[in-house]
Order: sequence, then structure tokens, then C-alpha cells
Amino acid sequence: MNPLFAFRGRPAPSVEILCGVVFAVALIAIWEAASDLGWIAPTFLPSPSRVAAATWTMVTHQNLLWHAGVSTVRVWVAFLIAAAMAVPIGILMSSYRIVGATLEPTIDFIRYLPVPALVPLSIIWFGIGEETKIFLLWLGTFFQLVLLVADDARRVPHEYVEIARTLGGGSRAVLVDVVFRAMGPTLVDNLRITLGWCWTYLIIAEIVAADSGLGFVIWSARRFVKTPEVMAGVIVIGIIGLVTDQILRALHRRMFRYL
Amino acid sequence: MSDGYLRFESVTKRFEPIQVVAETDLSIARNDFVVFLGPSGCGKTTLMRMVGGLDTPTSGRILLDDRLVGAPDRRRGMVFQSYSSFPWLTVAGNIAFGMRYRDDLRAAEKAERVDHYLGLIGLEAFADHYPNRISGGMRQRVAIARTLAAGSDILLMDEPFGALDALTRERLQVELRRVQLHEAKTTIFVTHDVEEAVFLADRIVVFSQRPARIVAEIDVTGRLGADRSLDLRESRPFFELRNEVLHLIRHESGDPA
Repeated sequence: MNPLFAFRGRPAPSVEILCGVVFAVALIAIWEAASDLGWIAPTFLPSPSRVAAATWTMVTHQNLLWHAGVSTVRVWVAFLIAAAMAVPIGILMSSYRIVGATLEPTIDFIRYLPVPALVPLSIIWFGIGEETKIFLLWLGTFFQLVLLVADDARRVPHEYVEIARTLGGGSRAVLVDVVFRAMGPTLVDNLRITLGWCWTYLIIAEIVAADSGLGFVIWSARRFVKTPEVMAGVIVIGIIGLVTDQILRALHRRMFRYL
Repeated sequence: MSDGYLRFESVTKRFEPIQVVAETDLSIARNDFVVFLGPSGCGKTTLMRMVGGLDTPTSGRILLDDRLVGAPDRRRGMVFQSYSSFPWLTVAGNIAFGMRYRDDLRAAEKAERVDHYLGLIGLEAFADHYPNRISGGMRQRVAIARTLAAGSDILLMDEPFGALDALTRERLQVELRRVQLHEAKTTIFVTHDVEEAVFLADRIVVFSQRPARIVAEIDVTGRLGADRSLDLRESRPFFELRNEVLHLIRHESGDPA
């Protein structure tokens, strides 16, 4: 039996990395060949080299990095507002059943409203400035996150809470010293996942109502069927997402060494 | 027979609609090691939790040192079977957590006590390890040390060795007996394991199926003496007492097992 394909086995880490890189490179090579050999019209699928060239032109002449920066700032502002609200409210919802019983039906209802359906309403309320974008992103993440946080806090083993209480800890102390600490790893995981959702809602917001940001760049390029620029915009989002995720994962490992 | 350091007076407990503890009177002497023995889910744990203030009696009262027990505090420390130590703190950190809410000790005193209890449970070499890097038996020792470091008067133990392998469990039983004598702590230890009960207890209180009702009290120290070593486990008096208790459980408590 080939050890590479041992059922639930563990190949060497270097082999795993190699396989991941080879697959991605092969995919790009096939894509390049498909365009260069004229299998697919470049208007639909420009070759990777053309996308790369377009990306470079956009960086040097069309302020692509500035647009990326604008989008990133919007995502983080909305995400931080949502997180700053969701974490305390979620913990309170699970710590005091009455808070949970009061808020949960409403939150559950709003959570199921599709964000794109609320874009018109948001424009009526806030116009097409930054407020609309921040509001839509907040809407898309806060209501999801608050329930995730409440669940994380609820899943902290009751034993931990009772141990702390029989050591003389009051409810505030137990909340901070035990519940918050115990839920740390899942909380950071959920924050990381929700941050990813923010990008989805951001593009929707920027397509509909913006004159800056990556969504705007992608949508304007589409109007002139500049497919390479459309793809460049999408790829930049992918890269930002990948880098952010890796940084947060590394942070997770550093913060929770005990896992 | 006892000075009534801890007294249960006509204590009952209902978790509507189920009666969990039938009217119970019991008196426990200071520094006694009392084992609550009974079938799983019979309500013996609830009775112990009421001492800790984690549940409140439906009727009756519990007195510790002639004072009504109330909300949990560090005088009554708990040791659980699982989730007994905090995974985000090291062994030393877990023991120190026992004194986190004590303002009467200076930092230096706290550090001294951590060292003392690390030594008592023999985990000096593991002071900086996180709980997921040590064995289940070590984790239970950490939990015991943390409760002792808090300075509790009573140890409340809820099947603390239930998840351990047989050999580790025997070793910890010997150690717990030693620590309990050395530190002179009144202890209530809940288990459904007859051998464990006989080996550890000064006194066994046998409970019926739910609702928990005391069916017998056995003075183990009167029969086996206070000194417990591994050899005792192989002795005839130990076996006789074990069989006696087993018989009692089968016939008195109506345990189908």
C-alpha cells in the first residue's frame, strides 16, 4: 500500500505542502493553455498572464491598492462594531436566561432576512455614503455573531463555573475569569469566520452604492467587459482573505498554546 | 458518635416533578471521611451539592458549624469527575486559582502555598504543564490541590476517580486518604463503587434508589481502622466488609445491577 494513500494516515508536512502547491500551479497552467491555445474566448476567460498584467496596470495607474484599502477599512470598521456589540450581548444572553429569552426571537427573525433584500431600505435610510455600507455589513454579521457567541458561552462546561463559585468567585468574576477564558478559542474561531462573511456583504454594498472599493472596481470593469480587470478585483479579494485568515490562525495558535 | 459539625435536618429536594431526595437526617463529625454510596442517579450527588450551595433544599436545612449553609463560598470546595481543572492554566496556575478570591493572603504567601500543595500531590516537576499534557490522574490531583489551596473546610467530591483506570484509581485513593488525614479536612465523597467506598471511608452512608433515602450507615474505621494502605485491599476483613456492603446494596437499595 502506498503510504501517501494510507487511510486516515499522515503524510510528511513537506509532501502535503508540495501537493497543495502543485495542484494550484497545474490549475493555473491549464487555464493559461486554454486561453493561449484559443479553446476559450479571452473575453470570457483571459489567461492568467493577462490577468496579472491587468492587475499590475491597475495597481500602478488606477489606484487598485487604494480601493483595496478602502474596502478593507469598511470591512474592519463594520466587523469591529458588530463584534464589540455581539460579544458582550451574546455572553449576557447565555448567562442570564431572561436576556436570552427576550432577545432571541427578534434576533433569530432578523438573522434570516437576506442582506441584499435590505439594500434598498438601507439606501432610503442612509443614502449612498459610508453609513449604508457599514450598516449592511453590520446587519449581515452582528445578528449571526451574537447567536454564535451566546452558543459558545452556553457550551462552557458548568463544572468550570461551579468550581469558581465554590472558590469564592462572584458572578462578575466568574464571567471574566472563567466563562470568557473558557470560550476564548471558539470565540476567536467564530470571529474569524464572520469576518469572512463581511467581505461577501461588502461587495454587494459596493456594487450597489459606491464610487470606491473593490466591489466598485469589479462592477465598473464589468460595464466595459474588461474581464481581466474583473478577475483582478476578485483575486485581490481572495488574497486579502487568505492573508487575513492565516494571520488570525497564527494569532489563535499563539493565544491558545494550551490547546 | 459525632459532634454534628455538618448536620442535615429533614432535608428534601424536588426537581419538579421528581422527588430526588427523601427526607434525610444526617450528622457528620469534623474531619470525618464520609462516603455517600448508592446507585447512579439516586440523588446522593444532589445531597452533596446542597452542602456546597450549588443546589438548595426544597425543605429542611443544612447546618455547618451551627450556621445555615448559603450560597457557595471557598469553605466548601468541589472536585468534579470531569472538567475538573481549567485547561487554559498551568498546573501551578490552577492551584493558584484556588486563592484568586482570597484577599487575606499576600502574593508571597500565595506562591508559598502553591509550592506546598504542588509538593503534597507530587507534581513539582509538572508545575508549568497545561492540563492536556498530563494524565487524567494528575488532573484530579491538581483539582484536589486547588481546593486545598483555597483553604476549604470541607471537601466535596463527586465521583472524582470515576473516569480513571483501575491502577491509577487505587493509587489516588491511597493518596487521598493520606492527604485527608494530613490536612484534616471533613470530606464527603460520592461514588457508586463499593470497593472504593470501603477503602476510603471512615463512614459509609448507603442510599436507596431515587428518591435517595438512607438505608444504612457503616462505621468502616471501627471495623478496619483508620490506616489504609494498598495491602488492606487484599485482607480478609476488607473483603468481608466489601461483601457485606455489596449485599446490603443489592437487597436494601433495590439496585437491579
